[in-house]
Amino acid sequence: MITTITIFFPLVAAVVMLAFPRTADARTVRYTALGLAAVPFLLTLYIYFRHRGDLGAPSLTQDVNWIEALGIGYRVGLDGLGFGMFFLSALLTLIAVVASWDVRENLKQYFGILFIAEVGMLGVFAAQDLILFYVFFEITLIPMYLLVGVWGDENRRPAAVKFFIYTFLGSTVMLAGFLALGILSGPNFSIDALNGGGLPRGAQVAIAAPILFGLLVKTPAVPLHSWLLDVYVSSPTSTNVVLSGILPKLGTYGLLKVALPLLPQGVEPYLPIIAALGVVNIIYGSFVAFMQPDLKALVAYSSIGTLGFILLGVASGNAVGLNGAVMQQVTHGLYSALLFILVGVIASRAGTRNIRELGGMAARMPWAGGLLALGALAAMGMPGLAVFVSEFMSIMGGFVAYPIAGALAALGIILSVMYLSYMLRRTIFGPAPERPALAAATDAGPVEMSAVVPLAFLLVLLGIFPGLLISVQRPAVELLLAAIGGS
Amino acid sequence: MAFLFSMVVLMVGVFAPNSKGLVAGLAVLGAISTFVTAAVLLAAGFEGEFLGNAYVVDAFALYFKLIVAFSALFAILAAIRWSGRTGDAPEYLMLILAVAVGAMMLVSMRDLFGLFVAIELATIPSYALVAFDRRRRESSEGGMKYLLTGVMASSILLYGIVLIYGASGSANLADVGQAFSGSLSPVALLGLVLLISGFAFKLSAAPFHFWTPDAYQGAPTSAAAFLSVAPKAATFAILLRVLLEGMPDAAPTWTSVMAFLAVLTMFVGNLLALRQRNVRRMLAYSSIAHSGYILGAFAALRGAGLDTAVQAVLIYMAAYTIMNLGAFFVIDLVGEDGKSFNGLFRSRPGVAACMAVFMAALVGIPPFSGFFGKAWVIFAGVQAASAATYIVVGALVINSVLSVPYYFGIIRNMFFEDPVTGAEEPKGTGIVLFCVYALAIATTVFGLFIGPLSALAERSGLL
Repeated sequence: MITTITIFFPLVAAVVMLAFPRTADARTVRYTALGLAAVPFLLTLYIYFRHRGDLGAPSLTQDVNWIEALGIGYRVGLDGLGFGMFFLSALLTLIAVVASWDVRENLKQYFGILFIAEVGMLGVFAAQDLILFYVFFEITLIPMYLLVGVWGDENRRPAAVKFFIYTFLGSTVMLAGFLALGILSGPNFSIDALNGGGLPRGAQVAIAAPILFGLLVKTPAVPLHSWLLDVYVSSPTSTNVVLSGILPKLGTYGLLKVALPLLPQGVEPYLPIIAALGVVNIIYGSFVAFMQPDLKALVAYSSIGTLGFILLGVASGNAVGLNGAVMQQVTHGLYSALLFILVGVIASRAGTRNIRELGGMAARMPWAGGLLALGALAAMGMPGLAVFVSEFMSIMGGFVAYPIAGALAALGIILSVMYLSYMLRRTIFGPAPERPALAAATDAGPVEMSAVVPLAFLLVLLGIFPGLLISVQRPAVELLLAAIGGS
Repeated sequence: MAFLFSMVVLMVGVFAPNSKGLVAGLAVLGAISTFVTAAVLLAAGFEGEFLGNAYVVDAFALYFKLIVAFSALFAILAAIRWSGRTGDAPEYLMLILAVAVGAMMLVSMRDLFGLFVAIELATIPSYALVAFDRRRRESSEGGMKYLLTGVMASSILLYGIVLIYGASGSANLADVGQAFSGSLSPVALLGLVLLISGFAFKLSAAPFHFWTPDAYQGAPTSAAAFLSVAPKAATFAILLRVLLEGMPDAAPTWTSVMAFLAVLTMFVGNLLALRQRNVRRMLAYSSIAHSGYILGAFAALRGAGLDTAVQAVLIYMAAYTIMNLGAFFVIDLVGEDGKSFNGLFRSRPGVAACMAVFMAALVGIPPFSGFFGKAWVIFAGVQAASAATYIVVGALVINSVLSVPYYFGIIRNMFFEDPVTGAEEPKGTGIVLFCVYALAIATTVFGLFIGPLSALAERSGLL
């Protein structure tokens, strides 16, 4: 019941926002949105501290028949695979509300639509039914399309349309796979009941193809990624937080929650391909990031790159790699949200995102600059920060299963060190070019700091105590291993 | 027969008084009472046969009568203002009700000649409805095209009926079934093909779809909205009845014909819709595409898919009725040029949100109604598990993606573009606005009631 309340509270919040009178001033709207966004976050905190040992508790799960004849139900519940992202969805929506300073018009609609997207995000990570999973998966689609298309920069329209068509194509193909899977096994769409996969191998392999395609488009794995850059670059900062922090995980979480355990034999032949795609993501993302003149584009490619570690961990099929992948979903969300917000702050001060025109920001914006450095170090996989733990585990797991892929992924870390230190040198260190905007730049204000500090704090906290997260996810990973017959 | 009775009473009432308010009130009352009667009969599990087995009232028929009465109610509500302005309110509302009566009779027919009479009863007033707006040239043009193709379709249908009658020696569906068991005689086969072609005309299935865009563009909006759902629902229903009750043993033959028609219709509808700038024509082509999706369920009417395929037709039709009526009514509010939707989000956010819901539903995005229709067609296709149904399912997936650009073109205009300066003033408020909001809410919460609805659809199956 708590889970259901957490998922659907944002819907109430959205209605409240949309029902606000037109005359309400921006300040009231922002504070109301903040208060409403805090509720699901506090609920997830409550769930963590109360139930972290037994996420399967009856008070967290619900199973109601929806379409009885076809074995479709409203089944929600939490497990270690999804809880980290469930928590992060609530957290990043709250942070997106804080970081919405560059959204100036139609504020209440902006928050309303953001909250509708939150319903979908929270729902995906709690759904225990294939159809419900798909419904929540798609609920995020139109809100994100509108957030980018209405509030983005001047290039927003083609970006939003491209985003929509690509991901809708992916998810529709995925739906066909889901329906085939559910119908051929019963019909039954309960993820629990389908766990372990009962279909013959040939059917599994055939069904896995469309499902993997849809999930990999969403992630995106590299040859399917061309929708991503325009969307990331065109979005307002606070949309970026959600777009890079949560949405890719809808794809990777689908791999962990649906593709692997429900079609263990069907996915098997594709695992080396997924591992290879992961490595391609890492290396390609790093190389292209190197060449970006635009700070935001650089962060976007860096974000694509580190998603590769998740794919590698998923493909490894062993405990270390899978734990790494599950955790990397969360840590990736933390650091990419952090970087996108800071890029937004710096761009608003300097009046440009072009790396060549920036420099010496650390002197003028010590806090923003310092936190940008922290985020970059996290992205490089610096020990002591959370990303290190998860990337390292993913590489370890990947190395055991695919030595070459693991070695190349480790090489990718070196590449990321190269472009990120280049970025740091050009933006926050080094000589400042003579530009009036730079000279007048002030440090991040209290609102901006309150958006980034929690993220930085969690990056450090989970870097020092990764057990806080891994202890929650371990039982679920063991179940997953049992389902796929790995070790 | 109670609903029929209420209709007759109503028509008398429509002719007698001259007061517009009274006529409108009576028409609404008639539609509501019909709806309630059908609902009560359905809930009571009423079944009965009349006219010596030629006219049957079963759950299946009642279900479709509900859909027809529902759309008639909303069409009348939306038409009150417009028809009041032209001064022909009684005639216009009477025509809508006449189509509704024909459509309701049609779904109960179990006799091929009775079927023909009912189909004509539903079609002939609809020619007048399309041509009703005398002040617009397109209206008479659309009406004329509709009349010519419609008459041709009727004669083809009648020819098919006569051939089947000749082959089986009876017009009753139960007797027809005898003639269609075993191997088909050439006469029966020709009759079947002609019958399906005649229906395909009425359903605006490709390659018999040419009248649709002109007719919908010419018709007054409330009539176009009504004609795109009610007669179509009834025609699908009777086609289902004829095929399942009249020729179950010939299923392998007609499911392959249906699969072919379905795939062709989907592609034709969507590819042509992509090129439209006029929203009303776009919706006309979209209705062709949706006919294709529903025909896709017909292709799965065999083997293990039978049950689910019947349900798919019923659920799809309910979902489509709600979302398509809503989309047409928004046109009534905003205008039919694509540009008139520009910036609607800023000027009238409520209407823009409703239209976005309808467009998303027509694409088939959950949690809106259209998703469940499409999902059921896929369910049925996968369960039937023949090569033809897999092709249909594949085509449906591809076409859903193909349809995104034109439906979302509207959303794009509404949300991303700036309003056109000097755009015409918003017209038509009040009742139409109420209809739009009601239908948008129904489209959104459709999924909550899909459980009971599917149980109802299962119970009303023809099997």
